[in-house]
Amino acid sequence: MRDSIYSFLLFKALYEPKIAFAKLAEVDPAPLRILFRYSLWLLLLPPLFSFIGASQFGWRLGAGTPLYMGTGTLLLISLGYLFILFFGLVTTALISRWMADTYGANASFGRHVALITIVGEPLAVASVAHLSPDVFFNALVLIPTTIWAMYLLYKGIPIALGIPPERGMLMASSLVGWLLVAAVSLLGISMSLWTLGIGPLLGV
Amino acid sequence: MATTHSSQDSADIYEDTVVIRLIQFSVLWAVIAMTAGVYISAELLWPTMDFGQFWLSFGRLRPLHTNGIIFGFGVSALMATAFYSVQRTSHVRLFAPKLAWFCAYAWQLIILLGGLSLLAGWTSTKEYAELEWPFDIAIAVVWVLFGVVFFGTIARRKIRPIYISNWFYGALIIVIAMLHIVNNLAIPVTFGKSYSLYAGAQDAVVQWWYGHNAVGFLLTGGFLGMMYYFLPKHSGRPIWSYRLSVVAFWAFTYSYIWAGPHHLHYSAIPEWVQSLAVVMSVILLAPSWATMINGIMTVSTAWEKLRTDPALKFIVLSLAFYGLATFEGPMMSFPSVNVVSHFTDWTIGHVHSGALGWNAMITYGTFYFMAPRLVGVPLYSVRLANIHFWLALAGTMLYIVAMWGAGVSQGLLWLSVDEIGELSFSFKDIMASMQPFYALRLIAGLIFLAGTCLMAYNLSKTLVGRKAVVVKPPPVDPAYAIGKEAAV
Repeated sequence: MRDSIYSFLLFKALYEPKIAFAKLAEVDPAPLRILFRYSLWLLLLPPLFSFIGASQFGWRLGAGTPLYMGTGTLLLISLGYLFILFFGLVTTALISRWMADTYGANASFGRHVALITIVGEPLAVASVAHLSPDVFFNALVLIPTTIWAMYLLYKGIPIALGIPPERGMLMASSLVGWLLVAAVSLLGISMSLWTLGIGPLLGV
Repeated sequence: MATTHSSQDSADIYEDTVVIRLIQFSVLWAVIAMTAGVYISAELLWPTMDFGQFWLSFGRLRPLHTNGIIFGFGVSALMATAFYSVQRTSHVRLFAPKLAWFCAYAWQLIILLGGLSLLAGWTSTKEYAELEWPFDIAIAVVWVLFGVVFFGTIARRKIRPIYISNWFYGALIIVIAMLHIVNNLAIPVTFGKSYSLYAGAQDAVVQWWYGHNAVGFLLTGGFLGMMYYFLPKHSGRPIWSYRLSVVAFWAFTYSYIWAGPHHLHYSAIPEWVQSLAVVMSVILLAPSWATMINGIMTVSTAWEKLRTDPALKFIVLSLAFYGLATFEGPMMSFPSVNVVSHFTDWTIGHVHSGALGWNAMITYGTFYFMAPRLVGVPLYSVRLANIHFWLALAGTMLYIVAMWGAGVSQGLLWLSVDEIGELSFSFKDIMASMQPFYALRLIAGLIFLAGTCLMAYNLSKTLVGRKAVVVKPPPVDPAYAIGKEAAV
């Protein structure tokens, strides 16, 4: 167990990602076990940090006084955030599994869940920046982290899913396409919710 | 069927020298117009960088940046690739090669003088159509001549089917001619000033019918023509589904033309026009993504090519950004999203996810593919091309994320109200708080420009001082031939 993929999933994958990918290539873990025993803990971090940061310091968008919201609204936003992250991880793993046939990659769903968890782990940890909910500070922390996560995706797919690097590059680029769409959807959904009155008080 | 003989009968060989020249012009405009873009992004941080000179002010350099990119870099690239591919898909030399040369040089002269006129303050004030009436007439004439060369070549083709890339290039030529002429109808007052024939809200509707479809048929349709010819060539595979490409073409052509009024939500145009634009924008997602899937599936089986061909990476990634931009656009057309996103930097980010991620990347990939083949030598430096790829990716990502951050902040702050319904923040304070995002955008622009300069160096080392390889049209399969070569 000490050297198994499970021992890597929560912390070791952060500083030894390539070894984690290599370990992952040796096993076909159970998807639900990965999801609920490992991924979920990581997914809890961003909404938790965001809730604490926004309730203590308010959203700092750069101009004038911070925006404060009631505990109920913040709770709703944090739960929505958790739901979206969970939905994002599961759908990304499903899409990765779906793409596996096209790119000749390993088709074990558990492996895809674990792969996406390892790739997303730096972002979950870097979400500690949400404790200080200043948009620019968060962008400053999360942009390099996102670039690192993209690097992990490009490096991890060929190792963990057992395909040549060139084929992995194509599969990773397709997944990046999906992730960009997911990211912009998150922005669009947030704005629609704000317009509907869920979130900050807007004059629309 | 390439040879190095120069004694061939010129009537039988492809006219490729004009293609080389257009590629060089396109790269030159890319460097100039992107430098202008970087400069004005610096002006948003340090407004005194105009040094009190009108011609260096944001208002004059910004149209130079957009026109230089769209019409200098973009159209020169489209002319080059259209001339290259229409010969090879029609199995004949260009129709009226001298006219093609005239188009190539006349277009550059229009961009040069038009750019100078923008710096001098001549402007119609219509976005992406700022050039004044003398230039509008010159553009219309040269554009029609471009159409004569293109359609003349197709009319003389030796192969019966008209390949899908030519449908897209053809739509580009026809629709842009229509949009340009209708939108620029104006009453001249002096040589450098005219007034639009349309008034008020009607002028706005015509302008955004033009503006959105310039994006649609030039920056999307034209570049899809590029994709449909060069991606299969590049990957050495036929297009994944030819039928899908034809269905997507007609769906794209039909639905795009209605979507323009989504630029005018919550304005004084009829509400049904706004609603129709939203519906058509959403429908547009289907043909856009059908094309993206067609491209990705075509390249997915050709992964071995990535080992030896750095250019293919650009095209693969351009499809990912094409997917993003064509999803983001319809989403931003929803009134509930648009009310927050409109007039913010998110729109600028959206435009650049298309312009940098899709248009520039697919053009760079195509130029890296064409240049060595046109002169019959390997690319000067594969390593520089690989470095360019990562610079282009990093620059685009940083740009988009910076503008997402700025746009969401602006949307939220502009609309925030306090308990008694008053605006919480002043416009001035909000704009002052955007400095960090604009600094990130400036860095992103510099990274992207650095990559483009690397490409300019790499391509000039590959092309300069070399003649075009002599290429003869290969024989046509008698089953598809027309004219003398057709099967009896």
